[in-house]
Amino acid sequence: MSGERPGAGAGAGADGGAAPVVSAGAGADRGADAATGAGVVPYRSNFADGTPGFGGLLRAEWTKFRSVPRWVLTLLAAVVLTVLIALITANGSERAVAGGGEDPADSGASADFRIRDGGHFLYQPLPGDGELVARVTELTGTQDWAKAGLMIRAGDEAGGTYAALVATPGHGVRLQTGFTQVAGERAEAAVPRWLRLTREGRTVTGYESADGENWSRVGSVDLTGLPATAQAGLFVASPDEVHVDRQFGGESISQEPTEAEATFDGVTLRPESGAAAGEWQDRARSLAAGGSATRLGPDAFTLRGAGDIGLDPGFADDSARNLLEGALAGLVAVVALAVLFLGSEYRRGMIRLTFAATPGRGRVLAAKATVLGAVAGAAGAVAAAAAVLLAGPMLDGAGRVSLTEGPVLRAVLGTGLLLGLVAVLALGVTALVRHSAAAIALVLLPLLVPRLLAGGLPLNAAEWLQRLTPAAGFAIQQTVRRYDTAIGPWAGLAVLAGYTAVVLAAAYARMRRRDA
Amino acid sequence: MSLEATIDVRGLRKRYGPTVAVDGLTFTVRPGQVTGFVGPNGAGKSTTLRLILGLDRPDEGAALIGGRPYGHLRKPLSEVGAMLDASAAHPARSARHHLLWLAHAGGLPARRVTEVLDQVGLASAARRAVGGFSLGMRQRLGIAGALLGDPPVLIFDEPVNGLDPEGVRWIRGLLRSLAAEGRAVLVSSHLMSELEDSADHLLVLGRGRLLTDTGVRELLDAASGGHTRLRTRDRGRAMAVLARAGARVASLDADTLTVSGLPAERIVELLGEHRVPFTELAGHRASLEEAYMELTRDAADYRAAGQRAEDGS
Repeated sequence: MSGERPGAGAGAGADGGAAPVVSAGAGADRGADAATGAGVVPYRSNFADGTPGFGGLLRAEWTKFRSVPRWVLTLLAAVVLTVLIALITANGSERAVAGGGEDPADSGASADFRIRDGGHFLYQPLPGDGELVARVTELTGTQDWAKAGLMIRAGDEAGGTYAALVATPGHGVRLQTGFTQVAGERAEAAVPRWLRLTREGRTVTGYESADGENWSRVGSVDLTGLPATAQAGLFVASPDEVHVDRQFGGESISQEPTEAEATFDGVTLRPESGAAAGEWQDRARSLAAGGSATRLGPDAFTLRGAGDIGLDPGFADDSARNLLEGALAGLVAVVALAVLFLGSEYRRGMIRLTFAATPGRGRVLAAKATVLGAVAGAAGAVAAAAAVLLAGPMLDGAGRVSLTEGPVLRAVLGTGLLLGLVAVLALGVTALVRHSAAAIALVLLPLLVPRLLAGGLPLNAAEWLQRLTPAAGFAIQQTVRRYDTAIGPWAGLAVLAGYTAVVLAAAYARMRRRDA
Repeated sequence: MSLEATIDVRGLRKRYGPTVAVDGLTFTVRPGQVTGFVGPNGAGKSTTLRLILGLDRPDEGAALIGGRPYGHLRKPLSEVGAMLDASAAHPARSARHHLLWLAHAGGLPARRVTEVLDQVGLASAARRAVGGFSLGMRQRLGIAGALLGDPPVLIFDEPVNGLDPEGVRWIRGLLRSLAAEGRAVLVSSHLMSELEDSADHLLVLGRGRLLTDTGVRELLDAASGGHTRLRTRDRGRAMAVLARAGARVASLDADTLTVSGLPAERIVELLGEHRVPFTELAGHRASLEEAYMELTRDAADYRAAGQRAEDGS
């Protein structure tokens, strides 16, 4: 070949006039060797050593992100918007304090569940084992689930251990304990009805009878944590009247307390408790909520009570979740950001430079997903924490939320995970479709449509929609169990993570096979 | 053949749908040379470069760098530097950050960014957003990216596009000096004239096929083809004398002739013998452009056929 120019040496940069070329230290030797063989000593890079690591790749992607000012601003705006929406939500929320019973939100019961511990309780201390018998002669109330009967409980504390044997207008006799379980039911039993509740050690057993002679066992429960001296007495409860109006875009719930009145006779407590024999006391907490008891005779009483006992059916607002609703705005911004992060590379051909620097498609995808997920996740968690810290104290009374509550903390950190996962999902979708607008639509629709539709669909359909679509991930923000809760927080997030993993795997397969 | 600092393309073939973009290409790019990669737009130059860089997957054949496919290079940016598309940078990103992410990804020290920015003359614009750059500045930025890893193999796709005359001069010098250091430099262009004075070797591509693989000097020699230009006051006698000696003579104007078929020394001899006066005798040197036309005349049938096919479609 004649390509070699005799005159060309290490100093050839001179005829270019402009910048000097960085030449290797050994440049002079090369010129001298030019006579041998092919006449050329191949150049060797001064930076040939080492291998680019994944850490460098992460730094590369992070540099890409932080060096586009409008991306950083978008992320900040997402955080600010999320907090602002929380403040507006908190400011505009007017909560009617429910009259029915109390709200034992910090009662130590399972954190996910709100419980109710209302109704009226007229009791005597019961030292050790014993037996309580009474006849419910009359029960009037508007609710099918109004309750009148006998109760043994640990003490006055809200949400404490109890067992209640109650007759209801619509559902027979049941033995109920705790806030999640029913120990026994006799659906056909109706008022008037004899009830008997016995305590033997930790075991409480309920019986019912139509005549006070032939008893049938309803069930029995093991009450751990029942003190030696428990409280035993009469109990009346009536759940709130609730109207739920579901429509597209939301729901409206009206909840009003109701009252029930029951008359008891033949009330016998054995053994009669010593000095205080015959001294019946009203439960202080339920008096405050409008309960009352009237003694009609030596063993006959009339009780009025409002509020219910047991698991809250979940019509109450999830105030923490409402505060975090602003994360939707953050989510839209994060999706747009994630899509542009990769989409702009495809649009401008920069992806070729990316792949030229890092031929491994999987490494590039992993680095991008890590950086985007971390950035979006951090923004989400910071925004959610700020929303709760700033707007939480503005809520009144029972709706107040604080980061120290387990479920709220989970919802806040979960918002970070949610945004991180959605960012990675958006990245994967972009790698698949390579078109920014299409990718944004493809990510946002399945996330937002189920939420929009949920209010207008039958409850059952709405629940399945929120279990099976990526929108399930929003479950991580729920802090109380409601009547329309479709899926548990972590299970919901796992559904979203599943979608993300599948999309990412498909994106990887596509990237490997397709021309850049 | 050296294992290092070469590009080996063997039987490369790539089809996009019904269009064959690259059709059985085989060539080698050697170190210490500037290899021009020439052909009209759509000839398959950019496709070939993408195949070399492992960006597109060939249907057949292979492109190897120092004996290995691009995807198997241990530290790609320090083995091959490429500028494919000068606008492949986010417009809101500064030149410095554009090179910085590339350095991080390539496992290169951040100081290289400053070095290459100096080298291409963009030091003063380092912190400006790329969106405000002229095409010439973008070309320089793209070249800076290619130089970042100090690689022994360099690939530039149409680097002269959009450069002002000063920039064109600069890039010619740069290409020459890079090759002089022992690097293999592959430069594509759709204009042969752009490679004048910088390329040592030429690969001429037409519709996905390699038309010529030749040294620039050989090409020029062949194209000049022993033409001699003669200026004389006595045109008639000169023509007669030379024609009798077996030369082909053509008249350019009143006192200029082109002579072919006789070496210049013999022409001088003959004119001296016959006392024909002449004022100038010059070996005619073809320009690269002329050589290219000469060269592709052979492929004219093919080109014409291609043209027809294109018109017909």
